[in-house]
Amino acid sequence: MATLRKKRVSKKLKVSWRKHVNIDDVEEFLEDKRLEERLGPIESKSDNELFKLDTQIETRLSAKERKKLKALKPLKCYHALEPHTKVPDPIAKRNRVRTKEERKNELIKKKEIANREKGILKAKEIQSMQDKKLYEIKKRNKPKKGDFNTDIWSEGSKFEIENDEWATTLTKKHNLKGVGALQKTTAKSLSKKKSLHPSIEAPHPGMSYNPSYEDHQDLLRMVADKETQYIKKEEYLTRVTRGMFNKVTPGKRDQMWMVEMSEGLPDKTSAEDNEASDNEYSAVNPPVKNKKKSVQQRRKQKEQRELELKRRVTKIEKKKIADIHQVKILKKQIDRSDKRQAVVKEKRIKRAAHKALEPNRLSSTKFEEQGLEFNLGEDIAGNLRNLKKEGSILADRFRNMQKRNILEPSIKRHRKNAKIKRYTKPGHKDDWKKTVAK
Amino acid sequence: MVAKRKKKYSVGEGAQFMSRKAALKKLQLSLNDFRRLCIIKGIYPREPRNRKRAQKGQSGIKTLYHVKDIQFLLHEPIIWKLRDYKIFNKKVGRARAIKDFERLHRYLNNHPTLKLDHIVKERYPTFLDALRDLDDCLTLCFLFSTFPSLAHVPRDQSALCQRLTMEFLHAVIEAKALRKVFISIKGYYFQAEIKGETVTWIVPHHFSFEPQHRAEVDFKIMSTFVEFYTILLGFVNFRLYHWLNLYYPPKFNSINQNEGEKDLVDENVYVAERIAALNFPLSKTSNEVVEEDLEIDAFNNDESPEKIEELKKEAEKDKQLKTLFKGLKFFLNREVPREPLVFIIRCFGGEVSWDKSLFVGSTFDENDESITHHIVDRPSMEKHFISRYYIQPQWLFDSVNCRELLPVNKYFMGEILPPHLSPFIDKERDQQYIPPEERALLDASIEHMYKKDEENDGEGVDDDEEDEDNEEDGGENEDDEEESDNEEESQNEKKLSVTPGEVFKEVPWEKSRQERQEYRLREKLVKNKHRKLYKSMMEGKEKRAKEIWLLRKKRRLHDAEKAEDTKGKKKVAKKENGPAKKNEAATKGKKKSKIN
Repeated sequence: MATLRKKRVSKKLKVSWRKHVNIDDVEEFLEDKRLEERLGPIESKSDNELFKLDTQIETRLSAKERKKLKALKPLKCYHALEPHTKVPDPIAKRNRVRTKEERKNELIKKKEIANREKGILKAKEIQSMQDKKLYEIKKRNKPKKGDFNTDIWSEGSKFEIENDEWATTLTKKHNLKGVGALQKTTAKSLSKKKSLHPSIEAPHPGMSYNPSYEDHQDLLRMVADKETQYIKKEEYLTRVTRGMFNKVTPGKRDQMWMVEMSEGLPDKTSAEDNEASDNEYSAVNPPVKNKKKSVQQRRKQKEQRELELKRRVTKIEKKKIADIHQVKILKKQIDRSDKRQAVVKEKRIKRAAHKALEPNRLSSTKFEEQGLEFNLGEDIAGNLRNLKKEGSILADRFRNMQKRNILEPSIKRHRKNAKIKRYTKPGHKDDWKKTVAK
Repeated sequence: MVAKRKKKYSVGEGAQFMSRKAALKKLQLSLNDFRRLCIIKGIYPREPRNRKRAQKGQSGIKTLYHVKDIQFLLHEPIIWKLRDYKIFNKKVGRARAIKDFERLHRYLNNHPTLKLDHIVKERYPTFLDALRDLDDCLTLCFLFSTFPSLAHVPRDQSALCQRLTMEFLHAVIEAKALRKVFISIKGYYFQAEIKGETVTWIVPHHFSFEPQHRAEVDFKIMSTFVEFYTILLGFVNFRLYHWLNLYYPPKFNSINQNEGEKDLVDENVYVAERIAALNFPLSKTSNEVVEEDLEIDAFNNDESPEKIEELKKEAEKDKQLKTLFKGLKFFLNREVPREPLVFIIRCFGGEVSWDKSLFVGSTFDENDESITHHIVDRPSMEKHFISRYYIQPQWLFDSVNCRELLPVNKYFMGEILPPHLSPFIDKERDQQYIPPEERALLDASIEHMYKKDEENDGEGVDDDEEDEDNEEDGGENEDDEEESDNEEESQNEKKLSVTPGEVFKEVPWEKSRQERQEYRLREKLVKNKHRKLYKSMMEGKEKRAKEIWLLRKKRRLHDAEKAEDTKGKKKVAKKENGPAKKNEAATKGKKKSKIN
């Protein structure tokens, strides 16, 4: 029973036949044959062709040498174009599309060569040469950064009218219409300074690297005053905001919240009582009834209205007569109001003058003045070598431009750490069958 | 037919303003491009009179622009260039992503460039307009010239800034236009007067670059400003050079080129280094002298003769200032900041050099006997030349601000310097009390006057005063001699009195009376509109004058008392120890100045 019995399989179909019949030996034979065909029969080859005497020591090539060797070989990208086998092409003479040059008539070829020698060119070639020249000129004339070779304030004065300082722009425009000298006018408001502040503010004398005692003290006092102002303001703000509220524990806060939020809700116990007491419908506001007025009521109302009107008219008439007698008083009143208005006007002018010095409100963030730069007493070395630098000119310029309404004040928002893009791998995603389908 | 319904905000302030977002939408630009365009064109946001109306009823505070301004931007041709940039960036991005390097290079070689020349002309129709707005430009360019390549600051920008600023300094040197200088803790302040316009700029101290905080300043914006300002400065330089009869890319003819040096560097670098050295005169196109100073008009109607006189005096002083250091030869020691000092010295006609290994462009050696001033910023030196003064750099700055050469003795090497005062003080200061010491610092000529005053005032105090001076000055013998000379002179003057002539009898108070009368008449001419203002002004002036008078009186009394005190003490001290006193007093004086 130990003998291995071959399992019998059906070989009815071509597929099953192929699957179950062992044809390895046949294939091996055929493979050998093909190899022989490709390389030629082994018997015909001499020993020298088949074997090689290894006389040299195997040397490891350096990376550079390997690179050099590699460079000698044809490119690998052409590998696909080479034939895989050494079997010669069975079609000895293949047809191939001849190139344009090959298709050309011999006579025409000859003529072209002759033409070129004479210097006769084709229109296309002439065009391309012209284009090339133009391109080169264009490239050469391309303005380089930092090249200044014209006086922009005096150029383009081909016409006498242009430089005439007595002629108005309108006159110039009229006379120079259509001659190619464009007179561009810009709105006056653009050239006007946007603020009264100078671009370089005079430095406080105490900011000298070697200030006099008084100046330095003056500067320090100014700085200290400003600082105390800030502190005072902050104190005030904390007092009126955080300081106003009692501090409670979180537990108590929650409890308070609960009580506050459930204010006005029907109490459980009382609600039950109410339900029990009466079942009748009742609302807070009873429904409105349209009560009609009687005729008598309407008549009386009308009479009252007329009377009121008459009374008002007589009152106005009376006042007119009274006013004539009150001219003096009225005049006084007018004078008083005039005086008051004059005061208000003066104040308004003053306020406007004050406001002109303040930076405009240009964006949601408010401009904040940067403090003055200062050296403390111990930092003043008194010589250039040991000078302690204070403040940054760049920040100063930036603030100054904000102050002069050139830039809108803004808080630059920037990320401290690089932005991280987060995503889940598809493999880690929830299995929908488990989460959704259930 | 019913009239068409009027929509809200279609007229008035609501129609005049436009939020930034709306402007972006209208111009079809990104926010960055819009900001860039606005900076280049000089369009700034506005504050409306009534914000609610201007924002079309929306709450909050928005950045608003004039609709007219946006329309003005709309016509600007460079807007197309900005759009080209957008397309260019997309193309480059794509080429880079698909690693099509051929295309990438082609694109990068043909990148669009903004040409801003016409905008400079448009914003500054005349050269004077450009000069008026040069403060910002120069300060930023000087600052950026110190920057390394940073994010948002292109590498070539700082190089360009450096070149242009150096060229500008050369122009100032040639025009001798510098007027005021000041060393603050922030940087060097310079003020020049070019064609009647004062130009002020700040140059940062030459320390190593310190990184800026990201949150503080938006570099991108500042870089855009600099982009525009470099072009402005380039054209200003061009114009200035031509006005001064110089070649514009600057040229030198008088450099003796050493063979060895020339081998080392190429031609452009060689010239650029000489320019940066600031020590060689540029070659001129013609030798015509540029006449800048205008004669002050004698027939000036609206200004009083005193004012005109004052102006004339100022002009005279300025003229003197231009040749302040002429004939002087300076040598800078290596610890001294080279650039600002060379600039100042050359501006006022001095000759300057430095150690050969410090920077290129030194013209003479330290051993040169003709050097008059050696500028040193260290407490002591081993080698001394007798033929020259060893002074600290502050002397240059103070001399320029005083517009005359100050005595060098207070600025010797190792000396504790007198305070460096700001020349940028307002004119109101003449209505303030200035202590005599400070007045002496501000104007050297006052010093003698002050001392003379003191001498004349308190006769008994006289010799003591002198003693005090001795104490303070330490070993300054020259000064004292001068003073004594002055004293003698004044005594001589008293003897030579002029007796009034007999033939022409003039009422002595007549002239002043006449003047007062005229003054009152002029006062009457003040318009009603300004009468109140004038009155309050005069009252204030009087009040301040009274205050000054009071403080001066107090000071005088105080000084007298002090002198009395010291006199008593000295007499006691003299008896005790004679010769040792002087040294002690000198140290005392030094301490005093240190405290100040």
